Amino acid sequence: MKCIGIESTAHTFSCAVLERKGKSGKILSDVRKIYGPPDGEGIHPREASRHHVENSTIALVEALQKANVSVTDLDIISYAAGPGLGPCLRVGAVVSRALASYYEIPIFPVNHALGHIELGKMLTGAKNPLVLLVSGGHTMLLAFLNKKWRVFGETLDITLGQLLDQFGRSIGFASPCGKKIEELAEKKSNYIPLPYSVQGNDVSFSGLLSATKDVAKQGVNDACYSLQETAFAMICEATERALAFTKKKELMIVGGVAANKRLSAMLQSICKRQKCKFFVVPQKFAGDCGSQIAWQGLLEASVKKGAKLEDTFVKQSWRLDTVEITY
Amino acid sequence: MKLIRKGAEGDLFLTTWNGKEAILKSRKKKDYRNSSLDYRLRKQRTIRESQIMAEVKEFGIRTPLIHFIDIKNCDIIMQKIDGVLVGDLSKTKLVNSCKKIGKLVGIMHKNGIAHGDLTTSNFIESCNNIFIIDFGLANRTLKSDDHAVDLRLFKEILNSAHADVFKKAWSNFLSGYKSSVGKERFSKITNKVMIIESRGRYAKVV
Repeated sequence: MKCIGIESTAHTFSCAVLERKGKSGKILSDVRKIYGPPDGEGIHPREASRHHVENSTIALVEALQKANVSVTDLDIISYAAGPGLGPCLRVGAVVSRALASYYEIPIFPVNHALGHIELGKMLTGAKNPLVLLVSGGHTMLLAFLNKKWRVFGETLDITLGQLLDQFGRSIGFASPCGKKIEELAEKKSNYIPLPYSVQGNDVSFSGLLSATKDVAKQGVNDACYSLQETAFAMICEATERALAFTKKKELMIVGGVAANKRLSAMLQSICKRQKCKFFVVPQKFAGDCGSQIAWQGLLEASVKKGAKLEDTFVKQSWRLDTVEITY
Repeated sequence: MKLIRKGAEGDLFLTTWNGKEAILKSRKKKDYRNSSLDYRLRKQRTIRESQIMAEVKEFGIRTPLIHFIDIKNCDIIMQKIDGVLVGDLSKTKLVNSCKKIGKLVGIMHKNGIAHGDLTTSNFIESCNNIFIIDFGLANRTLKSDDHAVDLRLFKEILNSAHADVFKKAWSNFLSGYKSSVGKERFSKITNKVMIIESRGRYAKVV
């Protein structure tokens, strides 16, 4: 079964073609067009959606060409229906609806965050992991129980991705800033004490953000280093608490911030302590991509029929823990 | 010394104190953390845990008795409580004990203590009494926000780890809590819980 997945929740417009045989999936193509806001600024939803509209046909054609398939070879279409930025989501939904109605292909609206997890599981081979989902939109600890992914811990305010981006932008970096901050932090510097806020399995980053902005005046490298150390230590502590509590034997990290090497190294050390296996999604598929949407669509297609065209809405606020999973 | 539990924060060992069985909670150094941050956290929590654990006894909360504290190594030796973690109880028992837990949490809040890590594995049922452990994240606070964060965490844990009995367990907890803090405070705190939840990512705005 072949599926094209269309992702457009935030800065990335991506189309990917995946083929499913039994339990395994193969990524035939994954084309991404990423909207880059000017230095020091965040994503402007209108500008990002304009970028997506302009790039949608290019990405679509490229994805089909690279996969060496034509539209009529596709069995299903899936698109990210949420959560994300409304104007951006609508672009992906419109493209999918157009394809689905013109070529009469079944269409599946899927949850973007769930796609992160399922693609991660497919690529890493994790079976029953505790999942740490860290991206610009999410900072959550999840475990599967009774047909749903349950939240064991999450951020009470901004996400880890937002923390890094907002700090980075405040000192004039271009978004996404994670990579730049990681590079500067590696230039090993001194640790400046910053606020540390862990409440059980939950974390809160807003105070840390303000404090780091202040500290940056004394030196950018030190601030980057201290920010990473503090924020990651918080995430790690919450993760370790959740691991000890759920007694899971696997930990998987997915989402854009999963690409950060320092964070993976810290989590690996926790896994060693708690004697569990550590999985990290390959860097190339850590960030938002069409593959996660296509794979999620393929999984859902195994247990249900495509959605009616009139039900193919977008849902800006669509929490992962409200999705019931039957496959 | 026998390791009996590898917690997230510290390792628990079985040891003896004056000829009796006791628990050693050792907050080991964590290599993955920056060392100055690591020591700051370990030291702060060792001190806070032992202080607050003793303090809450004043208003009738059962906690293990502290025997000895070593701040340099971040070790606490305390009384061993024989019993079962509430999280490991049968479903019916768990649901019932939530009422008692709610009551105890209410008493702590009324006296200005927020526990900070209210999970079902931080309560031990022993001879029909409930002991509270793990005060590493506890705080002295009368702020309604802090108390609401406590409640929200417990709710999150019930809704995840004990999802099948969530409704009953949570309503039991709330009725116990209400009986300790009184009607007015209760509605203020539960209202705050709702506000905190709506602040969550992609939460339905109420």
